[in-house]
Amino acid sequence: MSVLRPFKATDMFKFNNINLDIWTETYGIGFYLNYLSRWPDLCSVQEAPGGRMMGYVIGKAEGSNSEWHGHVTAITVAPEYRRLGLARKMMGLLEMVSDEIYKGFFVDLYVRCANSVAIDMYEGMGYSVYRRVREYYGNIGLGKGGRDEEDAFDMRKPLSRDSRRRSVRSNGRDMIVSAHDVS
Amino acid sequence: MSAALDRQIRPIYDALDTGSNKSAIVSCTKLLKKNPNNVLIKALKALALVRSQKIEESLVLCDEVLESKPTDDAVLSAMMHVLRGLGRHNDMVLMFEEAYKQQPLNEELGAQTFFANVRAGHWKSAQQIATKMHKQFQEDRYLYWSVMSAVLQANDPTTPPAMRTILYKLAHRIITSSPTPYQSNDRFHLHLSILRELELYDDAHKLLDSDIGRAICSTSLSCNEIRRDIWRKRGMILDEGKLATQRILDKHDRNWLEFLSILDATFSYFSSSVESSPSRREGLEQVEKTQELFTRIAEEDGSKDRSAALALLELEKRARNHGISKDSDRLVTLMQDYFTRVGDKACCFEDLKPYLALEENEMTGWTSFLQAVSRSFATPQELQRLINSHKLLRYNLTQSELSVEAETARVTLYIEQYLEGLKLGLNLPSTELQYADDLALLAANTFVTLWGLTSDEKYLLNAVTLLEFALTKSQQSFQARLTLIRLYRLLGAPSLSLEHYRAMGVKQVQNDTLSHFLLSRASTFSLASTGDLTLATECLESTQIYLSNSQEIPEFIIFEERLDNSLQRDIVKMEHLRMRLTHEQITSDVIDMELIELKFIFDRTHHDNRDFEIMSNYQPKISSDVFSQTNLLGKNESHGWLRTFLKVYIQAFQQGSDLDDSVEEKLLIGDRPKQSFGSDSRPPLRQRLAEALSKEELAELTQDELHFIQYARALAEWLEPYHDYTRPPPSVVLAEAAKQTELKTGYPLKGVDLAVLERSSSPSKKDEEPPAVTQSPEQVVRFFETLKERFAESQKNSSPVESLHIATLVQEALLLFIVETLRFKSAAVVKANKFGALVASFKSIRSDAITVLRDISTELVKQSEAVAKAESRKAFVDACAIVIARGIDTDFTLNVAKKVTDARKKVIEGVGKGLERVCSAYAN
Repeated sequence: MSVLRPFKATDMFKFNNINLDIWTETYGIGFYLNYLSRWPDLCSVQEAPGGRMMGYVIGKAEGSNSEWHGHVTAITVAPEYRRLGLARKMMGLLEMVSDEIYKGFFVDLYVRCANSVAIDMYEGMGYSVYRRVREYYGNIGLGKGGRDEEDAFDMRKPLSRDSRRRSVRSNGRDMIVSAHDVS
Repeated sequence: MSAALDRQIRPIYDALDTGSNKSAIVSCTKLLKKNPNNVLIKALKALALVRSQKIEESLVLCDEVLESKPTDDAVLSAMMHVLRGLGRHNDMVLMFEEAYKQQPLNEELGAQTFFANVRAGHWKSAQQIATKMHKQFQEDRYLYWSVMSAVLQANDPTTPPAMRTILYKLAHRIITSSPTPYQSNDRFHLHLSILRELELYDDAHKLLDSDIGRAICSTSLSCNEIRRDIWRKRGMILDEGKLATQRILDKHDRNWLEFLSILDATFSYFSSSVESSPSRREGLEQVEKTQELFTRIAEEDGSKDRSAALALLELEKRARNHGISKDSDRLVTLMQDYFTRVGDKACCFEDLKPYLALEENEMTGWTSFLQAVSRSFATPQELQRLINSHKLLRYNLTQSELSVEAETARVTLYIEQYLEGLKLGLNLPSTELQYADDLALLAANTFVTLWGLTSDEKYLLNAVTLLEFALTKSQQSFQARLTLIRLYRLLGAPSLSLEHYRAMGVKQVQNDTLSHFLLSRASTFSLASTGDLTLATECLESTQIYLSNSQEIPEFIIFEERLDNSLQRDIVKMEHLRMRLTHEQITSDVIDMELIELKFIFDRTHHDNRDFEIMSNYQPKISSDVFSQTNLLGKNESHGWLRTFLKVYIQAFQQGSDLDDSVEEKLLIGDRPKQSFGSDSRPPLRQRLAEALSKEELAELTQDELHFIQYARALAEWLEPYHDYTRPPPSVVLAEAAKQTELKTGYPLKGVDLAVLERSSSPSKKDEEPPAVTQSPEQVVRFFETLKERFAESQKNSSPVESLHIATLVQEALLLFIVETLRFKSAAVVKANKFGALVASFKSIRSDAITVLRDISTELVKQSEAVAKAESRKAFVDACAIVIARGIDTDFTLNVAKKVTDARKKVIEGVGKGLERVCSAYAN
């Protein structure tokens, strides 16, 4: 059970249990405020009834013409609240708002090619690989993964406006672009 | 501007962008020779100077540019950064206003002027500009800017309450004049929040009930949040319950807020106190219905979602509170069901916590249920179930169950199961947490309880060894690190705390919420006196965030307010000051600068943003939490502590300084911080400083800090008349400052009469006689002896923390004495005022202080030689029998022992030697 509510600026004072996790980046204050001011409806928080933050999503709307879409900038759940389906609910909200309010064609997100757990999860939510972006991530020195550590998959899920499902392509994993070509 | 010049200017921007301020200054100087009147180059040079901390030089250029009344975009934007760097937001406003006045058709300039006002907190002007822009440019956006400015002004902490309503009414009038109400949710939200504030619930309901209102609320969490609130305030609690039911059933919404809405609606029938009212009967039916609903959803959702299952628990709890529960076993049965369903998830313990206040007979059933949870496990889920049972059992332990024997038995069990549990995670990648981690944390909590029961340090040694081991298996466990940081401080091994703190990668806003783990009373461990600035640097780095945070976005006023006026920010400032004085020579410059800053801080209304919840707590509910149990010196400092230390230092600095308010006003470069509402009715600063300490303030001080404070206040009271008599008049101080500035920069300070200096070249003859010299007060004289005794007492502790605390306080007392007596170092002053006897008593106090300090120093250095020997390491390992017996390797333990004893040696030796250095610096 969790409360789904808007992300507030003051949540930055209490998101430590989420952000101390190694996979979650803590950005500068201006970064969050910029999102909260421009796309407040694409940023939400899951909270336990006692008030402890469980996870959050930060997203934006961007792109022009048929590339106009919702983008998941960060989605994260604290270690103790994983495997409860929280990410799915937050994604659901972001997709709904991208569809109904922003009238985007699709929602997309980036994920390390090596992060197969996350890729499986997103595929389960209806996302598929649209393209592979070379050296999108800085190396965080985890070793083994090699290229898969630094490259990202750009995964997309079509929304109702993309009636011809242009954001889905079966050979997405083979479509390789460099990091300079994406925003 | 010519293309050629343009090409020459570009590299200056590049230099500024990459932080090469020096080369930017050189290029600007060169270009200015050829183009002495180019305002842009001047502005850029001023910026480079500000960024190189050459404030005085930049001021000259800055004023020149401002006088030219620039309108050029590039100049304005460079100046924006200059003025922000100087803290001159008011001048920024003037600059833009002037530019906009010259080019009233320039929409961009209008917007800039609006934002400059917002940044400076000039809400009223911002609102007027927005209104003007709306009339002129006919853009809806500007109308909303104007509404927003009014709302922001209303919400500003400096706005008096009566004014708030007026401003909201103004906002309401403007927003209802808008022809096209909502192109975005934000505007809809803004309108609703104004109506809510004015309690115009019917109007709000009309908005909400429109098609567009309903559509917005179904997609926007924030609008729906305010809708929920307005419905409640309008008494539509049953409607809200119905809507929530619909959302849960039709839209499959599982937001806990919807369940709460149903529960509130269900129990709203019982608000009347009449026993047999018809609404009560209806209520009982409603409880049945709600129960059916939740039961059905819980079954449908199964393990997919736990909301309905938990809602059943909440329903039963509320039914009990209303005395209408039918089945006395039901709560425990539901809890057992819940545990069976969700026990394999980490959140189960937290979910059940609110329901654990059970009657005695229920407790028996619940406890035996938990005790029956299998102790063997083959999967992470089974292990999690066992961990949850431990947490739940531990939470309800009674005082009699918290004996040394029982806790020892528990800790043994936790460790055994922890080591067993590690086997399930052998193949986890190094970035993952171990499934068994919480057992190690449970064990650490138990060790802390044992330490509390016995005061035997060995339990903490076992705890750190176990947690260090846990970190080798689960490198990313920040929970293990947080606990270690606290324990190492208790053990007097602060350098190890620092290592773990750094490993957590705390950054950005986390500096505000988490640096207390490292920096609380950190001056106790500071080696700044020996030239080792590690902790002092940590203080500065952790407070960078407040300086670099100047946002462009006006909506986040509450956030900004909380960050700017952060309690932790100023606690760290105070710790840094205490460290700084041990390191730098105390001069009148240091005193003046610190005085100005501390006075600003003293007038702030502080917000406590420190995160005390982050550290997992698995202590029984009857005991205090593990965070409080591990407070350094048993006290967590807060508002009271800060105020007390501020009072002491401001008082001492004020006496030592020649700056009075009129001088300070002239010399201050940036704007004064905004004063909060009601500040003009405050008593004068001097009076506030001298006020007796409140209960709150006293409660946060250690016994020895209290001694120190009493000493400091007695000292200040004693010396006040001599300072007041001797201090030169403001006009002389100001003229002297102006002379110095001119020597440094070649430009005079505006509006200062230098002739005063000529007139007062001889020590001023005063009309009244100097105050008679009185004997030094007992509290001052006795302080050093008292603390010497306290130091001797503290020697019996195994941890050096208290000794270090006392030693650094004695050192601080000496330094404060130096601050207070600096003015009387000048032989001319003493002679002119016949203060010979006064200075003689200074000498004797100082030499007593130095004798005590030197004794303490010798004792500490001697101790430091003993703490890191082979015997102490062996004693450490012997003390860790509990963890070693369970299977933690002896060599591993020996390694921890070495780290801890070395860290202790380092801090004891450093503080000890530092005392000696301070003594020699001020011996004469």
